Amino acid sequence: MAKENRGGKWTSDLVLDLYSNLLMEVWEVVSALIGEAILELLFNLTIQKIGEKYPFLNSLKVSEEGISSDGVREVCRTIPPIDIHRGFQGLINHLFHLFSTLAEGVISREVFPKVFPKVREAERIISQK
Amino acid sequence: MSFEIKEIVESAGNNLPNLFDLSAFGVLWEEGSIIYLYQEESCPHSFTQEVVKNMVKVFSILGKGTDDVSRFSIQVEKRRLRPNHMMVDPKATLKSYLTLPLAVEGEIIGCISINSDQPNAFDAQDLQFFSVIGYQMAATLKHFQRFSSIKSIAIYDTLTNLYNRRYFEDRIRGEAQKAFYSGSSLSLVMVDIDYFKKVNDTFGHTEGDRILYEIASLLKTSVRKKDTVARYGGEEFILILPEAGLEEATMIAERIRRLVESTPFEIGQVRMNLTVSLGISNFPSHRARSKEELVKMADLALYDAKRGGRNRVCIYNAPKE
Repeated sequence: MAKENRGGKWTSDLVLDLYSNLLMEVWEVVSALIGEAILELLFNLTIQKIGEKYPFLNSLKVSEEGISSDGVREVCRTIPPIDIHRGFQGLINHLFHLFSTLAEGVISREVFPKVFPKVREAERIISQK
Repeated sequence: MSFEIKEIVESAGNNLPNLFDLSAFGVLWEEGSIIYLYQEESCPHSFTQEVVKNMVKVFSILGKGTDDVSRFSIQVEKRRLRPNHMMVDPKATLKSYLTLPLAVEGEIIGCISINSDQPNAFDAQDLQFFSVIGYQMAATLKHFQRFSSIKSIAIYDTLTNLYNRRYFEDRIRGEAQKAFYSGSSLSLVMVDIDYFKKVNDTFGHTEGDRILYEIASLLKTSVRKKDTVARYGGEEFILILPEAGLEEATMIAERIRRLVESTPFEIGQVRMNLTVSLGISNFPSHRARSKEELVKMADLALYDAKRGGRNRVCIYNAPKE
């Protein structure tokens, strides 16, 4: 289960914050490339697919305005941080798979530099427990 | 695919080569299960197949069925897209592509794709530009899809899939004008199912509707390509036969009469035969001065066929002066 770290914040919250910020950054970059409507569609397809294995992801809300993880926070309190990390990792991997299918490396090249450090950071938080 | 939608795809195919350095541009349109492909004329067949396969794959990944290419009909238009560049290598393979869903209000109606035999042919700026084109195209295609469906509702009879009375009125106006102006022949055949009320009363309206549909299908198969078959109302149908003289019109009408007479109809558990009565009018033979008069003459001829015992073809007989 989630643990409280030294700063008083739940590990799951830290991981969630990290991925929430990452998804918002991805949204910002990719929506500028392919538009909000198509991106919303891709996000929803991804959530639907990865949400089968990690149901907490189904609480993510996607609209043309962006992505909100407010609904996920409560659900995540009862989920081990490693599963939150794996769920989001699965989501991002599938999203990248869709990006590559649509536009080879064009989208991935723009987004990957933002993703890689955040995933490493999430791994570091989890390994600190 | 309606004419208008084909025009939009064609227009994009003609203009996109001015914006992107591409070897092929494709539109996958779900409604008609069709893939339109505009490509450099020197593109080898293997390249075309790769592009098609890729588009269908993307479409299936977007959650739209299988990646079975055979469910799409493919129309390839070969053009000189890159006059300033070298010809495409006969062994060229698909090296770069951008494929985007055509999405409107959350619904995917197809996808569009630009493709190249060159590596890294497209960058982020191209993608940005192409997505704007994609949105415009999706919105326009959706608009025409709706327009086509409204148009179809407006001109077809939903029960029989024949043209409706409104379409008939439009069509007869044009055909009559043409015939009256040029002096060419124009025939009308009015058809009525004999004792149809009995079918409805005995077997119910659902069975009656099915009979209407089946007889409508027989009518469609009995006429020429240029003829128009419409439901005139109730169990009455009307045929416009442009450039058909009395002899040809009689032949068509007689063919219909015999076909209906010899077709067994299954109504509920019963197998029975039905007949039709037909009335013919013709311009210039009957000297009609307007389309209304020509229709009235066909109607009077039909009345004669009914009065004469049904299951027969009657030609308009002008009253003696």
